[in-house]
Amino acid sequence: MNKNRFTDWLSTFILCFLFWMLLVFSVQPREIILGIVVSAVIAMVACKLLIHESAFYLYNPVRIVLLLFYAVCIFLIELIKANIAMARIVLSPGLEGYKPGVIRIRGAKNIKSLYGLNMVSNSITLTPGTITMEVAEDEQGDNYYYVQWASVEETDREKAGEIIKGRMENWIGRIWR
Amino acid sequence: MNIAVTIFLVIGAFFTFVGALGVLRMPDVFGRLQASTCIATLGTINIMIAGILYAASSHMSAGVIVKLILFGLLVILTNPVSNHALCKAAYHMGIRPAKGFEPDDYAEDFAEAGEAEDEVKEEA
Repeated sequence: MNKNRFTDWLSTFILCFLFWMLLVFSVQPREIILGIVVSAVIAMVACKLLIHESAFYLYNPVRIVLLLFYAVCIFLIELIKANIAMARIVLSPGLEGYKPGVIRIRGAKNIKSLYGLNMVSNSITLTPGTITMEVAEDEQGDNYYYVQWASVEETDREKAGEIIKGRMENWIGRIWR
Repeated sequence: MNIAVTIFLVIGAFFTFVGALGVLRMPDVFGRLQASTCIATLGTINIMIAGILYAASSHMSAGVIVKLILFGLLVILTNPVSNHALCKAAYHMGIRPAKGFEPDDYAEDFAEAGEAEDEVKEEA
């Protein structure tokens, strides 16, 4: 095992072990030893999937604070708005406003890493009314999201992108490069 | 404190109800997937907050609160993955809404690839 892969393994191991300790929430020696064994095995399998660039990229405190702020302030507001819109469609007598469509929206230029793309598409999927079907890259290096939208309000792709992504993408661009 | 717990429980139950009703009322697979997201997001989050407030007010250990937060996190992290996979699988099986998709950029851009796959299968 060369040095580079060892740091990958170590950073995944720390994340797994932290998660285990939070879930168990006791400091008995039996739990700690079991946690170390389980985390070591899982980290061996998962380190290739989790780590892409530098090994300790995830442990930047600024990044973690921004992530928490994004999850609590920005994302929650988008979530509530979309939930109310969805409730209005479901509770209306004839399902008015249900117009399904698949639309292609352009991703921001500064989000290139897999973490960022993954987080934007998962945020879009988590807001009710939109599901990301595919992320694709064209010859110029721009990323496009194919979004399945339950109530198509706007067929122009630029404006549709602004409606779907809202403020979420700007903030994710600040968290992940 | 009891009033706050009740309010969060009622909001959570309302969005879970809306999601379940949406699964029953929507006319096709895609609409049902969209409606079911309501259950996983605001339904789970509100019931989780109610649980946290209840645990904090009745002097339970901090482990209970941490576990509740982790369970909510797990639901929120795993839901979009399965939703995305189900949506794409339904699309590739050829399921379409009754009126069809109004703009369908996915078929426009990936139609050639799909046809090429069909040709390969026919030759084989």
